[in-house]
Amino acid sequence: MAGSGSTEAVQSTALEYAPYILLLPMLAFPVILLLGKLFNGNKMWKDGLKEGGLIALPVMGASLLISLWLITDFVGGNGHGDTTGWTWFTSGLWISGQTTVTEISLGFGIYVDHVTVMLLFVASFLCLLINTFAIGYMNTDPINDNRNHRFYAEFVLFCSGMLGMVLADSFLWLFIFWELMGLCSYLLIGFYYERPSAAYAAKKAFLTTRVGDVFLMVGLAMLWTLFHPYAGAGQGALDYSVVFYEGNIEKVAASSAGTLGWALGLMFIGAVGKSAQFPLHVWLPDAMEGPTPVSALIHAATMVNAGLYLVARMFPFFGAEALHGELADLAFIIAAVGGTTAVMAAAIAFVQHDLKKVLAYSTMSQLAYIFTGLGAALYLANTLHWHEYLADGTKNPDYYVNHGIVVVAFGAALFHLFNHAMAKGMLFMASGAVIHEVHHAHHHLHPHDDHHDEDPEELLVLANYLADTGQSVFGFFNSIDLDQSGDVDTYEFQKALKEADIADLPPWEMQRLMAALDMDGNGRIDVPELELTLGRIHLASLADDDDHHDHHDEFDAQSMENMGGLASKMPLTATAMLVGSLSIMGFPLIGGFWSKEGIIANTWRVALDDPRFFYPAMCVLLGAAMTGFYMSRMWLKTFAGSPKTDVAAHVHPTNTWIKTPLFILTFMSLGAIVLASMGFTHWAPDEYYKPFFDGKKSLFEGFVYEMDHAFANPDLFFFVLTYLAILLGAIVGPGLALSLYGGKLDEGEETMPWFGPVIALNQMVKGRYHWDNTSFAQSGFATALENRLYIDHYYDMAMLKIVAAFSFKAAVADSKVIDGTVKTIERTSQQLSTKVRSLTTGSARDYILMAALGTLVLFGLIWGVVA
Amino acid sequence: MERIEPFSEGFVLALAPEFVLIVGLFTLMIVPNMGDAKFRLPLTQVRIPWLLGGKRRNLDSDPRLPGLLATVFFTISFGLAAASFVSGMTRTQIVTPSGTIMLQIDEFSRMFELIFFGALALASAASVNRLPATARSDRSLNGLYNNRRQVDFYILLITTGLGMAVVALAQDLFMLFIGLELASFSTYVLVSFMKESKAGTEAGMKYFIVGSVASGVGLYGLSLLYLWSGSLQFTDLSAAFAENGMEPLPLIALGMLLVGFGFKVSAAPFHFAAPDAYAGAIAPVAGVLATASKAMGVLGLLRILLTIASPEATDGSAVWLVGLGVLSAITMTWGNLAALGSTNPKRMLAYSSVAHAGYMLAAITAIGALNWEEGHIDMSNDAALVVVTALIFHLTVLVCFKLGAFLVLSLLESEKGGHTLESLGGLAKRDPFLAVAMFIFMMSLAGVPPLSGFVSKLLVIMGIVKAALLDVTVNSELVFGDIHWVWFLALLMIINSAISVFYYLRVGLVMYFHDPEEGREGSLPKGTPVRFAIIACLITTVYFGVGAGQLIALCESAANALIGAW
Repeated sequence: MAGSGSTEAVQSTALEYAPYILLLPMLAFPVILLLGKLFNGNKMWKDGLKEGGLIALPVMGASLLISLWLITDFVGGNGHGDTTGWTWFTSGLWISGQTTVTEISLGFGIYVDHVTVMLLFVASFLCLLINTFAIGYMNTDPINDNRNHRFYAEFVLFCSGMLGMVLADSFLWLFIFWELMGLCSYLLIGFYYERPSAAYAAKKAFLTTRVGDVFLMVGLAMLWTLFHPYAGAGQGALDYSVVFYEGNIEKVAASSAGTLGWALGLMFIGAVGKSAQFPLHVWLPDAMEGPTPVSALIHAATMVNAGLYLVARMFPFFGAEALHGELADLAFIIAAVGGTTAVMAAAIAFVQHDLKKVLAYSTMSQLAYIFTGLGAALYLANTLHWHEYLADGTKNPDYYVNHGIVVVAFGAALFHLFNHAMAKGMLFMASGAVIHEVHHAHHHLHPHDDHHDEDPEELLVLANYLADTGQSVFGFFNSIDLDQSGDVDTYEFQKALKEADIADLPPWEMQRLMAALDMDGNGRIDVPELELTLGRIHLASLADDDDHHDHHDEFDAQSMENMGGLASKMPLTATAMLVGSLSIMGFPLIGGFWSKEGIIANTWRVALDDPRFFYPAMCVLLGAAMTGFYMSRMWLKTFAGSPKTDVAAHVHPTNTWIKTPLFILTFMSLGAIVLASMGFTHWAPDEYYKPFFDGKKSLFEGFVYEMDHAFANPDLFFFVLTYLAILLGAIVGPGLALSLYGGKLDEGEETMPWFGPVIALNQMVKGRYHWDNTSFAQSGFATALENRLYIDHYYDMAMLKIVAAFSFKAAVADSKVIDGTVKTIERTSQQLSTKVRSLTTGSARDYILMAALGTLVLFGLIWGVVA
Repeated sequence: MERIEPFSEGFVLALAPEFVLIVGLFTLMIVPNMGDAKFRLPLTQVRIPWLLGGKRRNLDSDPRLPGLLATVFFTISFGLAAASFVSGMTRTQIVTPSGTIMLQIDEFSRMFELIFFGALALASAASVNRLPATARSDRSLNGLYNNRRQVDFYILLITTGLGMAVVALAQDLFMLFIGLELASFSTYVLVSFMKESKAGTEAGMKYFIVGSVASGVGLYGLSLLYLWSGSLQFTDLSAAFAENGMEPLPLIALGMLLVGFGFKVSAAPFHFAAPDAYAGAIAPVAGVLATASKAMGVLGLLRILLTIASPEATDGSAVWLVGLGVLSAITMTWGNLAALGSTNPKRMLAYSSVAHAGYMLAAITAIGALNWEEGHIDMSNDAALVVVTALIFHLTVLVCFKLGAFLVLSLLESEKGGHTLESLGGLAKRDPFLAVAMFIFMMSLAGVPPLSGFVSKLLVIMGIVKAALLDVTVNSELVFGDIHWVWFLALLMIINSAISVFYYLRVGLVMYFHDPEEGREGSLPKGTPVRFAIIACLITTVYFGVGAGQLIALCESAANALIGAW
């Protein structure tokens, strides 16, 4: 939707070029796809251009440069603004009962404020680094050969979606780009679509986020209805310039504050889906099926931040004086959802063995922290009088105190978003490096395993079952071919397996069996296919029984059970992982510490005011300890101790494309204190971040201020709270992990000096306090955690019971009622068509006759009017 | 307004695009006859090169040369017509010494010339590959005949263009009729140009017979008008109509003229010969019939209905309102229903073009429904401007996608396909570019955003709705009963568009999901010029959808020129 429509709002040239930030990657999408199609397999394309990777890289670089330009302008104080890029067309809308015709224009504009700038940097910076990483990761794996162009094309489209969402000047465009990202995440998670698990994960991610999106759409529709009467000419009702305009908020608040609360609440559900929060979190761990750069991009750095961005965007509603206190409940819901997810995800992360899954749950948990922080900040903004003037126009006596509180609370949440994105992007890439190298080492040691073509076990059971019961394959086939169509589809086969008591498989597992049987790939099985495959399997099983072939498990390059002691093999990666983990844990002075403390402190500040908030407040405190545990566990299991398999002992350092982003991000995480000193903890909608950029406050002063507030808070309550959080997050949690996992490296393994203290501490703690956790590991709770608290299970059951039943009914209604109607219309039209065309006889005489008839009718009609 | 007498100073310059075509006409006659003939001066041995006749050179006897020349001349004319917009239009009238206005050059006429010349340039470029031109090495009689026939084809195309240009410029019914007949006669021959094919000859014959009848009726109407008012000048006729247009004589004449132009725009029930003609003619010619020739018909209707028999100062006044409304409703429904069952893609496109004629008639009807009473005139003028703009926009973008679709078919024709839908089977695999282009043309015809077909349909519907609601918006509350009945034409148009999606999408289905017919598995003929023409159509189809603003502004200036002349 168009912005204010005025060009006066453009105050800097950077703003005029801002559309290119998203247009460049968007245009690169067809280019890479087309070139990839044309030159697939070409040597120049493969080595020279890395199958499109080196087209995407400069594009993302240019996007970053323009972003940086825009950001510099913004902090310089003149890039604040809103512009209309172009307008497609203007259309009228008739509103019944009114005499005015409202003009609606459709166009795109750029909106820049502090939230935009923060997210813009995160997105464009990480997209570039992940692109670099991907060149080292994707192009060195033969499994991706000749299809990397698809990856890079979808990658740049994804990036343009994220950048567009951040830059858009209206909720409508935000939604459009939001959906674009949804599509791209579907494509990228399902990049290895030939694997049923990847295809399933892609579907799951798409559908789960879709649930949230439906609510978001309804919320936006409500918002549109609320604000539509107040949109000026050439403005869309969802433009930020309309919905954030205080005068409009006042008008809406006066008439329908409750409805506005509902609209925002529904939009929040959309954010819950996108950011994988309870109860719509189930897609994120499965989404690790995508290649690792995708995990880093979507599930750490950008897409999951979209939900946070949406909630942060709602700040002007919560902060409006007109809505004072109206939205406190919603703020509590946001914080509570965050708190719940933080603890739940951390608990599940305890028992994960898959390196990337630990990170996935960690992402969920950390995003939940940010939601809690945002919830607290929004609560504060909504319940405190923090504007300079009160609603009645008098000067606010508490302005300075309250304003500072709101700004710090909001700033902490945003800053944690930043820190988390940097650290998690790095962690994912580092984990990718580990997996990549473990996989290579495995390939090197066991080159044949990949060609081990396993037949599904169920088919073996079926073959044996037929042999045992003496049924012929043909007889069996006829008995299961329920509709006697001559071939068997998935449903019939599933039913047959269930009735023969062989297996009761969900549909996605059936895909695997069908794929093994279906030779011509038509999705159905006929008699020869079944006979041939079962025969072969039966014979093979007879042969196998003789030589007691020991069953070689598929090697899992992502399992931490196969790693250990990698600190000496991949020192840079281990360092990056260590810094990232410490940042996520909130280890004092590193990365996330500066923001996490702020979130905990502010949640407790709210809890002192509103007892409901004790729940999220306790959750984040508990979560801090849990984070300390699972992050340490992950690092220790991967990098400390001795190698657990022969594969792990033969891992080599990784290539430069992969190392470079790790190296840069390590410093980003370590350097968070510099950013904090620059005022990033006060990154809020006004001048609070300004002093440093205006030169009014030096970097050192900022540093002293941050240190003072973090470690020597004058308020006794917060002083104790800080040290409690540090104790839990940096000592108790890691301490437990140190006592359980890791150990010293093998003899003779040299590594970087800074790992010395960590390994030594690990060795000491493990030696002194050996803690037996087998009783916990075998408890029902641990099993429940391993099964993700059965949430997926119940969802699946609900789907089968309710949705499947409903869709069956819907299918009937569809074919009978809807299709029936359409078919009837179609048939009638076709019959009419035949009639009409039969008038075209082909004889010129008839044509002239018809024309004469027409002439007479025409005369009649004209005559009728006149007479 | 500048006034120029014929052949006085500035005459040639004012009509530069048309004169370029005349030059092209002569060039086409001369060039293929050039050779190394020499003329010996009597009684001497001095031989002067004479150039006409003798042994042919390779260059000027190339069978593709006439096509390329015609394309170049059409392009120059197009460029000159466009240039007159760029440099700021000077409205000019060509007046006889006795004061009769013959031609008028303004935004409206030039805009239509752009449509005509653009369509003809694309068609002539496309025909270079379509006509059975044989290589120079083929010295057989048939080969030679075929090559000589090339020239005839393009000469006819140029005369078509000249005729259409005259129709666009005419300010006098007589001039208009001359131009119309020049263009019509040329197209009759063009339709049956492939005289070897039975279908072509038959189609041309039928088209000629029915067309002659329609022309005859039109001419009769014209003579009645002359009998009635003593002049064929638009200005005189318009004044006479305003004064006593309710007399029987002009009304009968009006009805007859409607029949004549109804045939040109292929409105039902005068459209019968059109599907036959489209199917029998080669695809580029069919494309010209569906775009330029149709635009000419609409132009004539606009002149007659809006300029001469312009709506009067009573509510919903125009005498032709009901007649035209019924005609438009029947035409769009008939066209769409007939297209639904057609298996010949050219017939399908022909019927779809009948349906489009219905949409355009609906737009003109909407203007007739406006209220021209005192106090309403300004608003009505605005609304009329919107509708005429939409109409011109529609005609312009029609050249992009309808002609584009015919050009794709012309490539199929050159491998003897294109007469059945199934010959498009597997096109996506055989030639992905053509399939994508055809699909986009179909989408645009169906009116899918963001293509230009969507914008044009939207503009037309919005124009009709605006006209229908205009009266209501002046008063107060919206009461359904108050809406003028032309609103239902917009509704019918939407329903018809929905029906039409069925047959447009079917083309995509066949191209993408059906296997090629037997014997058609290989790749298609190359044909560089026609592919360039298709690319041009494709780019404009998309561009005028996404960035419609400029073209709409251009069409608005043209509409202004027409309405301002009332």
